[in-house]
Amino acid sequence: MDVKAGIGFRKDFAEEFLSGSVLKPGFVELAPENWMNIGGFWKKKLNQLAEIYPITSHGLSLSIGSPEELDMNFLKKVKSFLKEYNVEIYSEHLSFSKCDNAHLYDLLPIPFREDSIKHVAQRIKQVQDFLGRQIAIENVSYYTPVAAEIDEATFISKIVEEADCQLLLDVNNVYVNAFNHNYDAKEFINNLPLERVAYIHMAGHTKVAPDLIIDTHGEAIIDPVYELFEWTLEKIKPVPVLLERDFNIPEMDELQNELNSLEVIMSNKWKASNVIENRNI
Amino acid sequence: MLLKTETYKQQSNLAQFCRDGKEVAILNAKPERLSHYRRLIFNVVKDALETTYPISFKYIESQTWDEIVYNFFSLHKCNDPQVWRMPFEFFEFCKSEKYADKYKLPFLNDLLYFEWLEVEIYMMEDLEYPEFENSKNLLPEKIAVNPEHKIIKLEYPVHLKNPIDAVNIKGDYFLLIYREKESGRVQFVNLSVLYTFLIENIVMAEKTLEEIFSDILYIFGINDLEMLQTESFKFLDDLKTRGFILGVLNN
Repeated sequence: MDVKAGIGFRKDFAEEFLSGSVLKPGFVELAPENWMNIGGFWKKKLNQLAEIYPITSHGLSLSIGSPEELDMNFLKKVKSFLKEYNVEIYSEHLSFSKCDNAHLYDLLPIPFREDSIKHVAQRIKQVQDFLGRQIAIENVSYYTPVAAEIDEATFISKIVEEADCQLLLDVNNVYVNAFNHNYDAKEFINNLPLERVAYIHMAGHTKVAPDLIIDTHGEAIIDPVYELFEWTLEKIKPVPVLLERDFNIPEMDELQNELNSLEVIMSNKWKASNVIENRNI
Repeated sequence: MLLKTETYKQQSNLAQFCRDGKEVAILNAKPERLSHYRRLIFNVVKDALETTYPISFKYIESQTWDEIVYNFFSLHKCNDPQVWRMPFEFFEFCKSEKYADKYKLPFLNDLLYFEWLEVEIYMMEDLEYPEFENSKNLLPEKIAVNPEHKIIKLEYPVHLKNPIDAVNIKGDYFLLIYREKESGRVQFVNLSVLYTFLIENIVMAEKTLEEIFSDILYIFGINDLEMLQTESFKFLDDLKTRGFILGVLNN
């Protein structure tokens, strides 16, 4: 996949993607859960979208950190979706969203523990075996540790190494977690297996208390996150970068400006020629 | 399982707290921050249900609605990984818990079902259309229909009136719901008992239209075939214009 900046596909502004008049992402990302096994109006829109843009998929419901067995029926549908839309990058969250066979439809932190590492790594391997590809696992934002016994960076690194998977580095999540849990964001990133980064997420967030930020994807990216992004790019090989914006959607030119800003940084930091700036297309 | 029982227990406690909001001990967690998970998750569920069931949400007293939603998410284990399908489980939960009786909302089952079907048919996977051709004389033919449809029976006409008024006219109400091929829009057609019989038999595609009319004469005790055909053709023409009737099936 070309090294471009993309954006999450939202029904709220689907037509903007299809018209391409203002918004010109290099690729689009969508959650397979919201788009698989559907027909009618949105299936047509999805098919139109796929003719225009490369698609990446970022899952919500695989629940890689669940205590229970993987939902193979669900995974089968994901596999079929990835094939149908020629999806090169499939990522999921390092979290759980299902427990005791009940879906929760949001991302909960897995206890940072040695037994969790083994359990989750084994599940990632199982998923990769079934899909016949590596998947990328994202560092998630979290608001409180849960039964943690080891530090977060070690937890992530060991899982990624043991599962032999890729890392989706969410730079905003690093910033949010560093703020919420009082650690150094750069030191945290330095402790990750950066050679495994295959994809980057960038987003805005909302400060809800003097000591707490919620990862809302509902605001523009703030300067300190851009700075962390810029610093990070020096340490990793060129990979696609995604802008996440799920709520409080601004005018399209504002979103395109954010994409442009990301691509300028990508272009400057990764002087390699494979950075394609969409605004010049 | 490689996960220790203690680790599983911590995850289970957190998940249960997110479902019912009841305080629970979680190792090393900051209780004041745990509440954000409960809030965020419960908002996802509430939003999905309010979006799928706007009429129910509007006509059910907010305290009652909130209680039903709370009961659903705390007692029911949502099974579907696709959040847009979760509201169907809400409908089934309300039915199995007999909430129509418990909360004195006689229209509840019908209204939830009606509202859910609009979403389900709008989103359903595309079905293969039958091969058909246009014919001026439908009588000796089997009729081809839009396969993306459902025919349902309701006790209360929640598709015609607001649910408060609908409970005063309990009866047998039939409804054809289908998805337009080009636009993807969902359309509703109120059906009489006779037309329900007609459409159900057309859909089965076992008999020609002429044979179905013959059955109707016998079953409904109708003597006037000409009037039956005249009125039915008007109805079928309308359904053809609206994209439900396609033509006649190719043999």
